[in-house]
Amino acid sequence: METIDFVMQGFAVALRPENLLFGFVGCLWGTIVGVIPGLGPLTGLTLLLPLTFKLDPTTAIIMLSGIFYGAMYGGSTTSILVRIPGEAASIITCMDGYAMARDGRAGPALMIAAIGSFVGGTASVIGLMLFAPPLADLMLQVGPSAEFGLMLLALLILSFVSQGSPVKTAVMVLIGLAIATIGLDPLTAYPRFTFGSVRLADGINFVAMALGLFGVSEILLNLEEITKVHVIRPTLRSLTPRWKDLKDSAPAIGRGTVIGFVFGFIPGISHVVSTFVSYAVEKRLSNEPEKFGTGKIEGVAGPETANNATTGSAMIPLLVLGIPAIPATSILLSALLIHGVQPGPQIVRDHPDVFWGLIASMYIGNIMLLILNLPLVGLFVNLLRVPYAYLAPGVLLVSVVGIYSVNANTTEIAIMAVFGVIGYVLRKASFDPAPLLLAIVLGDRMEISLRRALMISDGDWWILVQGAMSKIFLGALLLLLVLQGSTWLLGFRRKNAAEIDKI
Amino acid sequence: MINLLNRRTALHAALALGIATLILPASAQEKFPSRPVELVVPTPAGGGTDITMRLLAEIAETGLGQKVVVINKPGGAGTVGVAAVTEAKPDGYMLGAVYNAPLTMLPHIQAVPYASDAYIPVSLSNSAPLVFCAKPDYPAKDAKEFIEHLKKNPGKVTYGGDGVGGTVHLSGERIFSVLGAKARLIPFQSAGETLQNFLGGHVEIYGGSFPPILAHLREGRMKCLLVTSADRHFIAPDVMGTKDLGLPNAGTTVWAGLIAPKGTPADRIAILEKAFGDAARTPRYKEAMEKLGTRAEGSSAADFRKLLDQESAAMKEVVAALGLQRK
Repeated sequence: METIDFVMQGFAVALRPENLLFGFVGCLWGTIVGVIPGLGPLTGLTLLLPLTFKLDPTTAIIMLSGIFYGAMYGGSTTSILVRIPGEAASIITCMDGYAMARDGRAGPALMIAAIGSFVGGTASVIGLMLFAPPLADLMLQVGPSAEFGLMLLALLILSFVSQGSPVKTAVMVLIGLAIATIGLDPLTAYPRFTFGSVRLADGINFVAMALGLFGVSEILLNLEEITKVHVIRPTLRSLTPRWKDLKDSAPAIGRGTVIGFVFGFIPGISHVVSTFVSYAVEKRLSNEPEKFGTGKIEGVAGPETANNATTGSAMIPLLVLGIPAIPATSILLSALLIHGVQPGPQIVRDHPDVFWGLIASMYIGNIMLLILNLPLVGLFVNLLRVPYAYLAPGVLLVSVVGIYSVNANTTEIAIMAVFGVIGYVLRKASFDPAPLLLAIVLGDRMEISLRRALMISDGDWWILVQGAMSKIFLGALLLLLVLQGSTWLLGFRRKNAAEIDKI
Repeated sequence: MINLLNRRTALHAALALGIATLILPASAQEKFPSRPVELVVPTPAGGGTDITMRLLAEIAETGLGQKVVVINKPGGAGTVGVAAVTEAKPDGYMLGAVYNAPLTMLPHIQAVPYASDAYIPVSLSNSAPLVFCAKPDYPAKDAKEFIEHLKKNPGKVTYGGDGVGGTVHLSGERIFSVLGAKARLIPFQSAGETLQNFLGGHVEIYGGSFPPILAHLREGRMKCLLVTSADRHFIAPDVMGTKDLGLPNAGTTVWAGLIAPKGTPADRIAILEKAFGDAARTPRYKEAMEKLGTRAEGSSAADFRKLLDQESAAMKEVVAALGLQRK
């Protein structure tokens, strides 16, 4: 009952005119940086951070969090319209979202993305409100060795994502793992595979590479069929999802919420990994997995829900422990500290206004974002009236500016171009670039967690199976392997999909 | 008549304009700065150095009478940003806001794309010690007992910190190596990650800055054993520094300061030194830094030079003792 009092008190704070106004500004700005490829929540937060120095701490944090979760709404737009990922968390949306747009169903795709974002975002705030302290303690149990187990598990689940043959997928994964080692050694800052160039010291920029592999390669592919001009003329009726779309999406949105919330605990890469896992799970559970990549609405609904559901769980370590798990929340931490609010176990006691006001504002913000984004669908879909020959290069130009503005580094533009060509060749040879990107994201964390675990144990490999969390993750991994193996042996893959769901 | 008057006014105006255009460029050259000053921060936006220096830049605008534009050039553990500063035109319009590692530490460990004389110090802006902390039941209650414990269990105790050869590692070893103590570093990528693994019990000792741990300190979830500076720190005045261990010259703080490319005219350096020094000494900056657990400095260029030289010499020895020196 006490909680309800606090929540009401929080709403009283969040509904103050200035908090509503700045909350809206944050959500709007978040949507904008989310839509622009190359710019993500991190850039959006940094640009507006100095503005908050003079605000009241509660107002400041409400606005900045609005940017953070607002960006997760906008990211899907360019993925769906032109196959250029608006940000890293919307890479996988390119697959089916863009295919839907080509089918003239960009409207439903965008709407489902907005609805999924709303459900995922709101559910994760509820999770944050109810379970924050116990979940934070659970998170602490995941040390380097358990994290390695979790990464192995993710890699296995993700092996279901690929479109292509298993051999081609394996090749892509291995190349991805190799690319992940380029740059300064994450633990010793020793340069690896940089050929003495400072420009490669930070490795291959992930966002630039994703933009190249997905966006630029698509434009190159389209150059070949320049004669076949297909202009999609959206009508009002085609904007809204059909009843069947909603029915198909509902379970995907439900699962995406859970997946996003759980994977929100992976430090650093949660928003990306959760979308891939959600996509993999949807594909595995579908009755027609072969149709994924050709415009299945579940392939949009699941991941777009998942990336919003990570926002609530990413706030838990920040608020309860004062630990920023991802770069975006580390800016939120700085903002809180500048205002003299020390997040940590006592935040609820010392700054109830900030804590409950923030939570209430996240409910309100998600509603605002839904109201903001649904009408935008009509606007964005109408962008498709612009001939592809103008639209795609236009978005590409914006991406180049976006990429450059983050680190002021021309190398990243070159990376985007080079990987555009690589992506073109790969897709011509029917290699799927998704596993490659994923291996890069996971490879980095896998290497770090394994090496750290071994440093802690002074070289003793048994550390990997010690500890409750390691055992849980490895147990799940074994179970999946056994199930997968037995289905292959018995030859009825599809029927057993339901059993995997129970894990 | 009216016509004539108009014509005369027009003539005067034209004359005045002509003279003005003759004079203006000359006076513009005299005055520095006459356009915005760029400040390169070699960390990603939102990092510790970025936030303290953005605020300083904003305050210094008053003294300079010009905008200060902050540009983030992260990469190469800070070397990309420093390289950009050393390669800039030395006219005082491009400065770097830097911290220890790329200037006094990294150059001893690996090749960096700039020489140690390619930049000149302008002013030191803020500094704070790092700290080593343990769980409340740890079998040591202060720095002396901590060192004894390390000596009794050589290489057994694990401490989390930034990377191998990073600031936590080197400032810690600067103390440990002299006293003959051995501990094992487990490198993490941020103080937050270190804290998470420390609280979860995956490493025994937290090594890092104060801000992330303040809440846990107050809650009694951890106790601090040693700060890496010579003097004690205002946040936890009961925690010993290196002076208390009998090592007045082994103290290290994490600092942020301004550098300019070599060859920047001395009169311009003086203007910048005053503007940024004054800004760092304003109550507003001091207050903001205190909240972040940092001390506002605003030192002279000469003092900053001294700090750079001493620290670089000390770190060269530490790096050699660890066997990390550049081959």
